[in-house]
Amino acid sequence: MRLGKKSRRGIGSFIVLLIGFMAPLSSAQAQANATPEDWVNKLVGLETAPDLEVAALRQQALERVKSKADGVPLQRPPVAMQLLKLPRLAVEIQFDEDSSVIRPESYRTLGRIADTLYDPALLPYKFLIVGRTAATGKREFNLTLSQRRADAIRGALVTTFKISPKRLQGIGLGEEQLLDAAHPTAPINQRFELATVGKAL
Amino acid sequence: MNPIRSISSILLIAAWSSASAETMRFEDAAGILGASCVKEIDANCRGVSLDPGRLKDCLLRNQDSLSAQCKTDYVRAFDAIQKRVAARSAVVKICERDAVKLCGGPQKQGGQTLECILTATRGVSARCNQAIGEAGYR
Repeated sequence: MRLGKKSRRGIGSFIVLLIGFMAPLSSAQAQANATPEDWVNKLVGLETAPDLEVAALRQQALERVKSKADGVPLQRPPVAMQLLKLPRLAVEIQFDEDSSVIRPESYRTLGRIADTLYDPALLPYKFLIVGRTAATGKREFNLTLSQRRADAIRGALVTTFKISPKRLQGIGLGEEQLLDAAHPTAPINQRFELATVGKAL
Repeated sequence: MNPIRSISSILLIAAWSSASAETMRFEDAAGILGASCVKEIDANCRGVSLDPGRLKDCLLRNQDSLSAQCKTDYVRAFDAIQKRVAARSAVVKICERDAVKLCGGPQKQGGQTLECILTATRGVSARCNQAIGEAGYR
């Protein structure tokens, strides 16, 4: 995703969407005001683990981009409908422009994600970090950047906060999973998802 | 770092230090690092993500360019994160006997053991209680 100048668009601002069971998506501001308990509550409640193959999903997104299918963002369906049914919660994370380096301003948010994942109610679960972008710039670049950013979030959670790597997977869906499909270029589409996807055995 | 943030950061660290032995929340520790060292990271560690090895090493290498606030806070922040990690991983082991006594044995998943012990109103050993407190689970 090619973002604008820092001064115009802010730094590469992304939203991590920690998926909450059938919960409506809320604004980044509402997420900032949410308590740590709210975050936990939005992530619990997974009753049946979804039939989710991350490698297949990654391939599916890549093939759609390469084939130039669903070229018009306004008519583009989500590439992974199954993710929409999972527990989720949106959180904004900032990155350096066109980079997977997390901004220091978002360290606090990363820390809160770690606090959330250490909550006893969530310790038995594993999560999928899903990177997304708005429909600006090149689709393939967006797909790659969102993957790198999802991996960066996973990396920080694993190396800094010692979340078990077995509990986290990262996937980038670029602009193939728009949150606000009616406004494909809206900043709200620049986001990640962290989905509760099953028990961590 | 603006004065209000500096004062908040000092108060938070003071409260954390004087509180029993409860370790600092990851959110607060990481927040202190980000708030106190944003300029230094941008100036000296551009391209380095949050990482207890690489970022800490970079800040250490550039000690002379760091503000006094950042110099103090980055060490404290990484130390606090490390202590919280250690405290959280210690709970299950320290409370193993309590889990057997109160929950019918250590459960397969740490979260289940913890939830069981945390809901127990009586019978939790002092050592286990202390570990729970240090980990910030109560």
